[in-house]
This record gives sequence, structure tokens and C-alpha cells, in this order.
Amino acid sequence: MFLIVVVSYILSIPFDTQPSPEVQKAFDYIENLPESSVILFSFDHEASSLPEIKPITLALLRHAFRSKAKVVGLSLFAEGTAIGYRMMTKAADEFGLKYGRDYVFLGFKPQHISAILGIGESITRVFPEDYLGNKTDTIPIMRGINNYDDIDMVITIADGDRPAQWIEYGGARYNQQIMAGLTAAMITSYDPYLASGQLYAVVGGLKGAAEYENLYGKRGGGNRGMLAQTSAHFYVIALIIIGNIIYFRGRKQQGRG
Amino acid sequence: MDFGTLIAGILTLAIYTFLYKDNPIYRIAESWLIGLSIGYTLVIFWQTTLVDNLFNPLFGDGKLVMILPLILGLLMFSRFSKKISWMSRIPIAFMIGAGAGVAIPAMLYARTLKQVSASVVPLLGEKGAFNFEALVVVVGLLSTLAYFYFSREHKGIMGKAARLGTYFLMIFFGTTFGYTVMSRMSTFIGRIDFLLTDFLHVIK
Amino acid sequence: MQTRIPLLVCLISGVIMFAQYFSSLPIAKSIYENILEWWQIIFAFTLFVGVAAFIKTNLKSISQKKETPYRTISLIGLFLMPILALIGGTKIDSPFLWAFENMQAPMQATVFSLLAFFVASASYRGFRARSISASILLVTALIVLIGRVPIAELISESFPKIGFWIQNYPSMSARRAILIGIGLGSMTTALRVILGIERTYLRGN
Repeated sequence: MFLIVVVSYILSIPFDTQPSPEVQKAFDYIENLPESSVILFSFDHEASSLPEIKPITLALLRHAFRSKAKVVGLSLFAEGTAIGYRMMTKAADEFGLKYGRDYVFLGFKPQHISAILGIGESITRVFPEDYLGNKTDTIPIMRGINNYDDIDMVITIADGDRPAQWIEYGGARYNQQIMAGLTAAMITSYDPYLASGQLYAVVGGLKGAAEYENLYGKRGGGNRGMLAQTSAHFYVIALIIIGNIIYFRGRKQQGRG
Repeated sequence: MDFGTLIAGILTLAIYTFLYKDNPIYRIAESWLIGLSIGYTLVIFWQTTLVDNLFNPLFGDGKLVMILPLILGLLMFSRFSKKISWMSRIPIAFMIGAGAGVAIPAMLYARTLKQVSASVVPLLGEKGAFNFEALVVVVGLLSTLAYFYFSREHKGIMGKAARLGTYFLMIFFGTTFGYTVMSRMSTFIGRIDFLLTDFLHVIK
Repeated sequence: MQTRIPLLVCLISGVIMFAQYFSSLPIAKSIYENILEWWQIIFAFTLFVGVAAFIKTNLKSISQKKETPYRTISLIGLFLMPILALIGGTKIDSPFLWAFENMQAPMQATVFSLLAFFVASASYRGFRARSISASILLVTALIVLIGRVPIAELISESFPKIGFWIQNYPSMSARRAILIGIGLGSMTTALRVILGIERTYLRGN
């Protein structure tokens, strides 16, 4: 499997993938945002899912910055803190944006339910200082952002159950719109929320990142991995088919014996 | 190649030695990872919560009411003493109670009522067109709930419904497995990207 | 007293947090915000208790000469990160962030990526169409595996559509049933915890 993935990654043929309805919906929302809309990015993932999460996050951040939205970042997972901060500054630097004026990273809070509910009352009470130690209420971008009433969309980038808590506490109590960037393994867990409208849209997995990058117009990590992903999938399919052929042949022989 | 990338590459290969078998190189890397992870989390918790939400308001702004959460937090350490270890139950009970209190309306609305209402969709559209998908969802939902209803024996109609629920669950597990394979492969591809691009410079 | 006080604290905090949901009084809101804040702070202390227990366990193992090198390495790593944070802070280009990005994050991602090999191995060894249920699981997995790669659209336009249909209707309905079951179970458990019927959280001192 190692060889198959390495060779196909080196070959790396670009694909034009049709965007799925959810990815198209996510893209259209950010594309049509009025200027100075407020998007809250919540980096709720571990470092272990970084290879999958990074293309999704960068695609969404770049699009949000291009749409001239005010981007507020925070994290409800300890490891997401450093990663989120790094990715926000990386994406912002590409647009020449200034920290504090165009975007801010508030930091991390360990008790996620308390944080999600607390933001509904007062974001500065939950985050009295940002990640760099500045008083939140003195940061220019935070003027006028008090709670969910002032936030247009929460985008949670996750590899676990944090989006469910955003939906159940932030969405249910405060009617906050939630969008999610998810690892592929978590996609099926959130299908009911997507179907009921509690989750606005989902950008899921490396394929979702590739679709979003194609819509955005800048290929990145998502697209680079598509041939390798395809090869790996067919490898697993081959293993399943071979395994079943061997199983049924063995059963047939046992039947004869 | 900068020093950081070199270290990252060496540690990545050290972890991958596990694919051959468990060995001291892998175990050293694993131990190092455990220590770093805990140390990292310690710093983040301290800086972003204890300093920002407790020490600054208490000692900086003179908000004396913050002594109460400080005392409750320190009570957690009483579990290291056999005599007063029962006191650590108090802050735990506080957190559990608060969590349970906010969970009831959240679970009732978001997980139950909203999901049920989303399932109750007309089977006939405006122009009389039959909504097959709505039927699939309702049948799938009811049969899967029948499977999980263990207060009654799965016999007769209940048994048939539970059997159908099993098939719907298998469809869900199959879909989840497919996506899980996709996710795991993506993570592996990400590491290959790092090794080939940043570490070995095979790809630009 | 050792059980009654915690149960009383649980009851009071639970009832307050439940009741405030239905009240728009300023005092209810003030108490609610204070409890949320205290909850956050107390939760942070739990990590420090865990770290103290980790250090205690490792030092004990080292004194008993059990896996000494590995335990020592873990402890060095644990103390290194706070020292780096004290020296250079936690901003971009700080030693703390460098250690996270060049040591912790790559190792964590690599450990997780090992699962790809286990998934492939499990697919070969364990994925058998032994019964109708297993066959349904197998076929669905194959449809999703093919449907979610770019080549699927080249094989047939129907592949991704079939995959999406399965995901959005039959698969979703089963997941919805699980969610509803979890929701009902969580509610009853929360009620039992507040009323003191469920006391498992009081054990393990």
C-alpha cells in the first residue's frame, strides 16, 4: 500500500471534480456574504487529523478573507489552538491582512459546553484576553461583536463531536447558524443534522477540500492527494474482493469435503 | 531543509518503524510524544483559562468572588489525601450537575424533537407526486428504533421491523466504513506529502 | 456527609442550570453566567490533577526500575514545554510553538496514519459476506468507496449519485434513530444524575 500511495502521489494527476451539494452550499454562502460579515472559526480538532483538516481549513479561511469577512478564531480543543493560530496567520498573510484589525484569534477554552453557551451571553466574558494576551474589548475587530447576535456564521473545523455541541447548545438555544469542516470519518454522524437544517453545510474530507479548492480557484492539498486517494480506495476494494473470493472458495471446498 | 523539518522527518520515520514491529525507537518516540502532549496541554490550559479567567480577575481586577471557583478547583487536589479525598467529589458534583442541567433542554430539542419533526415529511407532494425518499426515511427510522427497543421481544411484526432495522443499520455502518477508509487514507497521504515534499524533496 | 454534600451540590447546580433556561430575569442570567465561568475554571484544574497523577505514577515506576528510560523521556517532554513557554512565550516563531509544530504535531499525525494500514489489513481479513447483513454492509461500503473518488464520475455519472442517495436517505435514517435514542437516554441520565439516583461520578477517589 505504501508503494501504491507514494507512486500515485508523485504522479499526481489533477482532477476536475463536481462539487457536492453541501460543498457548493458552503461556498455560495461565503461567496455571497456582505462585506464585514462576522465569521467565527472554531478549531476543534487534534493534531492527528491535520493532514485532512489543513486543506479544508485553508480553503475556507482563504475564501472568508477574500470575501472581506471579519474572521474571529478560537479553539475548543487544546491542539487546535496552535494549529488554528498558525493557519489563520498563514492565510491572512497571503492577503496582507492585519491582526487585530481584520482578524483575531481568541485562544482556547477547555470546557467546550460552557464556552459555547457563554459566547451566547458575552464573548468577552468567556475570552477576556486573546491568545496573544491583549484585552479582547480593546481589539478593534471585536468592537460590536458581543455574542451570537453579532456573528453571522460559526464554522467549526472538527474531527470529533464538537459540531454536535455547537448545534445542540449554540444552535438550539441561540439560533446560531453552524457550518462544519469535517474529517471524512465524521461525515455520516452529521447527516441527520444536515438533513434537518440544524447544520447549514459540510465540507468533508480530502475530497470535500478538493471540491472547495476547485470552486475557489486555487488548487492545494486537497487536489494534490486525489490520485493517491483513488489508488488507495481501489487497493482496499481489491483486498475486500480478493478476501471474499478466498473465503467463498474455501467454503465451497469445505462443502465438498 | 531547516532543522525543524529534519526533526519532524526523523520522528515521523521513527513512528513508522512500528509497521515492522514494536521496537525501542518507536517506544522512545511514543514516550516523547506523550510527554510533549501533556506539557503542551498544561501550558495552554494555564495560559488561556487559569490566568485569563481566574488569576487576572482575582488578583488583577480584585474580583473577590473568584475565590470560590479557586477553592473548588483546589479541592480537586484533595483526592491525593486518603483522609479528605471525599472533598474532591464536591467540584466534580458541581460540574456534573451543571452539565446535566444544560443537557436536558439541549438533548430534548436538538436531538429528539428537531430530528423527529424533520422526519415527519408529507409522503405526497403538492402535485400529488409520491415522495419515495420520505418513505425510506420514515421506514428506516421506525425500523431502526424498533431494533433498539429491547423492552419487548423481537417477535412477529416487531421482529420483522427489527430485522429491517438491522439492514438499515448495516447500510449506515457500510457508509461509515467507506468514509472511515477515506479518512484514514487521507491522513496517510498527508504524511507521504510531508515526507516526499518537505523532508526528502522528491516533489516540489 | 461525604456523599450528601456532593449530591446536594449536584442537585442545586443542576436545578439552577435547568431552570435558568426558562427564565429571562436578570438575576437568573447573572447566576447562569457565573456558573458557566466557574465551570470553565474548575474544569481546568482537572487537567492539573491528572498531570500530578501522571508524574506520581511515572516517578513510582522509575523508582521501581520499570521501563525507566521511557518514563524518564515522557517526564522530560512534559517539563520541557512549560519551560519553553516561559522562555519564549507562545506566539509565532516561539520555541514552544516550534516544538509543537516540528515534534508533537508530526508524531501525532503519523501515529494516526498507522490506522490506514490496519484498515487495509482488516478489510482483507475480516470483511466477509457471511450473511445478508454482512453483504449489505459490504456492498454499501464498496459503493461509497468508489463513489467518493474523482474517477467515479468517469466510470459512470450514476456512481456518485447512488452513493449520495444511500448516504442521505437510508444511512441517514438509521443514524437519526441512533441520535434520537441517544438524546432520550442522555435526558433521562441527566435527570437521574441531578436527582441523585445516578451516583457513578462519586466513585473512584
